[in-house]
Amino acid sequence: MSNMKEYSLPVPVKPPAEIESLELPVPPGLDETALKEDELVLFVGPQHGGSGHMRLIVRVHGDVIKEVIPDPGFVHRGMEKLAENRLYIQNIPLLERPAIMDCINFSLGYVRAIEKALDIEVPERARYIRTMMAEICRIGTHLYDAGILAVFLGHTTGFMWPFALRELTCEALMRVSGARITASYVVPGGVRRDVDRGTLNYINEAMTYIQHKLKDFERVFITNPVTIARMKDVAVLSKKEAIKYGLVGPFLRASGVEYDVRAIEPYDAYDELTWDVIVADDGDSYSRFLVRANEILQSISIIRQCVKALKEMPEGNIISADVAEKKKPAKPAKPKEGEGEKGENEKAEKDGKEEKKGLDSIKGAFFRIFGKLTLPRGEYTTLTEASRGTVLYTIVSDGQSNAPYRLRIVTPGWFYLKGFMESLKGCRLADLQAVYGSFGYFPPEADR
Amino acid sequence: MLSYSSLLEMFRQNSVGIPLITRKVILYHTANKIAYIPPLTSLFAKIPLLNLIVALVFWKPFFAVVFAPGLVCILIAILFIIWFERKVTARVQWRYGPLEVSRSVGGIIQPMADGMRYFFQEVIVHREAHRPYFLQFPLITFLPVLLPILVIPAGAVYAINTPYSIPVAIALISLIPMIIVAIGWASNSKFAYIGSLREAIMYFSYEVVLIISAMAMVIAYGSANALTIVKEQSVVPGIVLNPFAALAFFVAIAMATSRFPFEIPEADQEVVFGPFIEYTGIIFGVVMTLAYEKLYLLCMLFSILFLGGWSGPFIPPLGDLSPAFWLFVKTIALMMIFVFFRTFYARYRLDQALKIGWSTLMALAIVALGVGIGLGATNIVGWL
Repeated sequence: MSNMKEYSLPVPVKPPAEIESLELPVPPGLDETALKEDELVLFVGPQHGGSGHMRLIVRVHGDVIKEVIPDPGFVHRGMEKLAENRLYIQNIPLLERPAIMDCINFSLGYVRAIEKALDIEVPERARYIRTMMAEICRIGTHLYDAGILAVFLGHTTGFMWPFALRELTCEALMRVSGARITASYVVPGGVRRDVDRGTLNYINEAMTYIQHKLKDFERVFITNPVTIARMKDVAVLSKKEAIKYGLVGPFLRASGVEYDVRAIEPYDAYDELTWDVIVADDGDSYSRFLVRANEILQSISIIRQCVKALKEMPEGNIISADVAEKKKPAKPAKPKEGEGEKGENEKAEKDGKEEKKGLDSIKGAFFRIFGKLTLPRGEYTTLTEASRGTVLYTIVSDGQSNAPYRLRIVTPGWFYLKGFMESLKGCRLADLQAVYGSFGYFPPEADR
Repeated sequence: MLSYSSLLEMFRQNSVGIPLITRKVILYHTANKIAYIPPLTSLFAKIPLLNLIVALVFWKPFFAVVFAPGLVCILIAILFIIWFERKVTARVQWRYGPLEVSRSVGGIIQPMADGMRYFFQEVIVHREAHRPYFLQFPLITFLPVLLPILVIPAGAVYAINTPYSIPVAIALISLIPMIIVAIGWASNSKFAYIGSLREAIMYFSYEVVLIISAMAMVIAYGSANALTIVKEQSVVPGIVLNPFAALAFFVAIAMATSRFPFEIPEADQEVVFGPFIEYTGIIFGVVMTLAYEKLYLLCMLFSILFLGGWSGPFIPPLGDLSPAFWLFVKTIALMMIFVFFRTFYARYRLDQALKIGWSTLMALAIVALGVGIGLGATNIVGWL
């Protein structure tokens, strides 16, 4: 080797710009600069017990976090691109995948965008069913997040109990839609299946049980002195910061901003029900958790009201007649029981101007109704309050094809990732997971 | 120069008497004849070498370290307590816990099955590790675990009868964190480094309290000899005499053995078993049980200092083992309380644990020391 000659070639080669982007999000020389400043760079994830499907690049000085650089995208599936190659109706199961526990809320946003484009009015019963199911999903997601938070704090009982309670919401989802998660239950114009009285009774009982067991959970985990010591005054985001970093949902409300899409731009049956927007003032980890814990109680109350209203309504009429190409005569409603007939009559008297009767069932007619669904040319945007915050859907349609020209989905996880990272500055290293749990950050949801 | 027979005589002079084994078993007796099976120990009495081995096994210092309250008891305690921890946690959490391995007895041999799995798992030594230290430190841990047994007596079964048994035992137990820190260093990884630092800081936060509260009891009894301390507690146990010391010692044990809510060095959601992150296979099995071994030793110290040690109703068939049995029962009961904390506590942060150790717990320990000095000065223990 020593007697080899070195030839220099006069070819000007510069490293392409992509080389640098390959190192992203780790800035080049991060380790060296950190060492000079007596800091340690930690790579937490994606194969770490407390990182989820993402990587957190943490700069620690002693035990104090200086900076956290997020590296999301490990579970990016390209939802937006996939949606362009599917029929409008086929996108519903796809778009539930970001947050499978929160399936109803996620498909609700998309379906409402279609309804907005086609100018469909959803029957009352379908609206109530949708609201009820959305709130069941909200309870399930909040319980899931509470469990994850508990296990990140090392509290295994606080992990197991909410997961056991979540079984009830899964069971309710299964009885209504046929699937424990990813229900694909909401379709343009209404819902896929009707809810019978037995299921409504079950949902009522399940809510009573969850409310009862939540008291035990509160005693064991929520008011546990160790939990409070770990989360109180940790990762505080003031009202101003929360707005600046674009937090959404319960995390924004935990910082004292009273913003809830369900209250500001009510959709479905939310404006016909009585419920409170839960707000906390501290903006710390504990209040972020408490807001969601209290939202479970609000959801239970909403579900109770929905169940009560649904029991008074006649069965059937769950899909708007508009969706069936607007001319298809609805099947004559068959009153199944005497009380149904009576309720229908009452409603007809009360709501005199409702001339169109919706469909009772779409069994066997699914493809005929939805297969050729085409939206008029334009751009349609909806905001929906999912469990973890606002989810935004934009459908761009070219007016001819039966698949969206472009679909935009911004999930709450993506909205509050910045705030999450900012709040970590100045925390202890052990708080990394506690703050993670307090935000309930869910990488598949943020990565889409 | 010890001759064979003098060595044998020395072992036999100081051997553990267990009637259950040394008793003759009578088969039948008629008018004048008694037929019996000779005891197991005398079977080998005449055979050379075997009689020496048998005598050595029942020699008190050897028996104390290897059988009771030593290695064998530690293993039984660990196997039981790991099963119990999983089972009781599962019960609280609406689960079954270990069950399938042995359904009829509630899966009690699950830890043994896990241990077997560790045996056949590959031991990976990563490239960055300090290889010799990485492999030998887990084995060295048995030294500070077994050496304190030499000075912690279990009734008549003891190795060394010394007036300094409690201080020496605590000093030897204090070596365990050193080895954990060394393990973290030998692992040479970032999370192991953080874990060792956490272990060191935890050591700093509980050790002073542990020593002060133990010394408070030593002062109260006027002796550091465990045999004397237990004799003094024949009427009133130490936990009644000085509850402050008992509480401080109790919390310090929880911190020392990384039980909840102080499971900080090994926090698996934060630093993924901290110092032990790089270990696999049977070596991981060894380091994982380290905290339980320490818990066993400290619980034994707690029951000697505060719960009357090995005093309990005498069980004739066990003979010398009877006090050791009672000590074992008390130790296991204490360990069960410690592992039960897992079900209802989360984990404190490192700085919070340090603060607790040096504020509340330290104040408690100083009060305990005052009470101990008062007890020692007035010699109330002697009157009782």
